[in-house]
Amino acid sequence: MRHFLVMTVFAVLTSVVFGSVAKDTPRERCLYGLKVFAEFMVIGLILGWILYFIP
Amino acid sequence: MVKSEKAIERTKTAPAMAWAVAFAAWFVPGLGHLLVHRWVRAALMGGSIWTCFILGMAMGGHMFSLSTGQGSSPLLQVPPMIANLGSGSLYIMCWLLDKGFADDLVQAARATYEYGNTFLLIAGLLNYLTMLDAFDIAAGRKP
Repeated sequence: MRHFLVMTVFAVLTSVVFGSVAKDTPRERCLYGLKVFAEFMVIGLILGWILYFIP
Repeated sequence: MVKSEKAIERTKTAPAMAWAVAFAAWFVPGLGHLLVHRWVRAALMGGSIWTCFILGMAMGGHMFSLSTGQGSSPLLQVPPMIANLGSGSLYIMCWLLDKGFADDLVQAARATYEYGNTFLLIAGLLNYLTMLDAFDIAAGRKP
């Protein structure tokens, strides 16, 4: 649980900064930030499951 | 305006103010955006970087400097040191107070040690991004 929490906090903090620097309008920034956050989480979970099966 | 004119405008020398803002943004995360009156960005970006750094320290992360390696390994310390150095005054303050630089085995054995390292590295790298953003705003290259 702690690992998941740390991953989520990391994804939130990073996507906030990425979302703030990229794009032109506030709406685009929000959408981009959410997209980056979702990508961090999904890729993190996929990698976690792949590594789980590798001894 | 045609494309080439836009390109020429972009390559014009940035005003001294923009360099001062970039330095301030590097030295204190969030300060650069405060100086160019981008309050929300300052709060979001500065807040994220400060939080990242504080969490990294709280998780027992280790910061890098040239003195931590032995033999040829000081060279290997350079890339992470550059990343850590991005935190500006936070890194300098820790270096002066000797916090987070010690090679402590007990600290390294903590479950969150590697997470802490990553958070500290990312705090510095994100601050470089923030610094470039503040510079572009101060130079009038970005709204």
